[in-house]
Amino acid sequence: MDTSHLAEHAGAAGSFFASIFVVATLSMRTMIPLRVFGILTNIILIITAIPTHNYATLILHSVLLPLNAYRLHQMLQLVRDVKKSVNSDLSMEWLKPFMTERKCAAGEVLFYKDEKADSMFYIVSGRFRLVESGIELPVGAIVGELGMLSPSNARTQTLECVEAGVVLSVTYDQVEQLYVQNPAFGFYFLRLASARLFQNIGTLQEQLAQHTASTAAPKPA
Amino acid sequence: MADDDGILSSLRYLFADLLGDDDDTPPFLPEGLPENLTSVVSEAIDLLIEYQSAGCARLYVDRLRRFIGRRGVDDAMLGDIARLMAGRMAYQDPIRIAQLKLAELDKAGAQGGSAEVIKFRLDELVEALPAVIAEPVLDALEWAGWVRKSRVSIRFSNRNRLGIRRLKIEAGLRRWRLFSVRYAKERAWVERWLHMIDRSLTKQPQAASAIVHTATMIKGHGEAYRQGLADWHAIIDGLAKPTFDGVLALSDLAGAIAEARAAMPDPRQATLKRKIAEIRARVPAG
Repeated sequence: MDTSHLAEHAGAAGSFFASIFVVATLSMRTMIPLRVFGILTNIILIITAIPTHNYATLILHSVLLPLNAYRLHQMLQLVRDVKKSVNSDLSMEWLKPFMTERKCAAGEVLFYKDEKADSMFYIVSGRFRLVESGIELPVGAIVGELGMLSPSNARTQTLECVEAGVVLSVTYDQVEQLYVQNPAFGFYFLRLASARLFQNIGTLQEQLAQHTASTAAPKPA
Repeated sequence: MADDDGILSSLRYLFADLLGDDDDTPPFLPEGLPENLTSVVSEAIDLLIEYQSAGCARLYVDRLRRFIGRRGVDDAMLGDIARLMAGRMAYQDPIRIAQLKLAELDKAGAQGGSAEVIKFRLDELVEALPAVIAEPVLDALEWAGWVRKSRVSIRFSNRNRLGIRRLKIEAGLRRWRLFSVRYAKERAWVERWLHMIDRSLTKQPQAASAIVHTATMIKGHGEAYRQGLADWHAIIDGLAKPTFDGVLALSDLAGAIAEARAAMPDPRQATLKRKIAEIRARVPAG
């Protein structure tokens, strides 16, 4: 029995469905649904390409399918991690996959006080000191995350490398892109940043109370 | 349809990195600026708009604002910061020289015209290119050992049509100046200079004026520029920074800077380094 006409019909129907999915993919406003529809389009085009022996399309979409799936997984993981962070230790480790590594030599300044801030840093190794306050930052600390949301965008301290090390950096533009592409990420990111800000205010209030108590205490004669 | 909603403005935003900043609104004079300094700051704003863009002038105003009304900064010092910072922010690269040559033609009219041959260091030329291109080229030059040895002569002429066309192309490269290696270095230098002024105002206010005036050490282009920059870093790293960090108990930093500056210029920096070591040795151990 000649089945070539069946393959032809399957090909035409597949192309029709794939076209609908391409339009749907391109009309998505945010990244997660865009990736989901991208994956569905890939699957339809792979299925259609088999009976019609369209190997170029088959190879192309076999490559695009895992790529789309990986990016979707990354995005979902990001939202999950930020959400988890809001409810636990307020850590910003989830940003690490999006950061680029930078080696720092002793004496190098990463940014100066009052300079316009454009990126945040994660300390991987080495020793780093905030010059004006003299505070040394531990490995694993995130610096400059609130600058992104501050209206003046200015650094409040100078960060100097005291002992050679490595930092990871991500620009505010990159975080902004993640924020815009993914509303769920944006929501949890805002909650996380606010929580860190409130935590800072709490620490300051504690310090102020301690300072007030120590100055009010009667001095020994 | 409002301009902001138009397709053209969306395209402009999409290609903003290539086309450059399209926000050409000049900045206002900073609030609280003393009356006698308005002309200096206005001139600086005009210079930076002509040199680069309104965005560059805004950065200048933002930086200047840090010192307005600051304790220890009088009108004279603020004026010096304003003038010297504008000079350093409009640093002389081949693009600037082409701009100046074109401006010269505008002033002299069609009859006037001159040609100048200027020698640049090879790395200075490469650093004027966008970092994506410049960084691998600089690495290759460093590997070949050509960075410090090679000099390139460039002719800047506004005598004939061809020369003027070339100048216009060179001056047009200013769109990409913000992505250059040199721009990043100059930006970091200005921030470091301002940081040193800031720290001096906190730690040793009487030396602040001397720190401000160290900016005059860096001028022009080519070898003189490189020398001035190296000397500046030697003085700041050897005297100012250790004093502010509390590592060096130098009570008269201004005097020490003046003494060190008297040991310049020295292409090999031997006299300057000796002088800095001498000053440091005189300071009693903390």
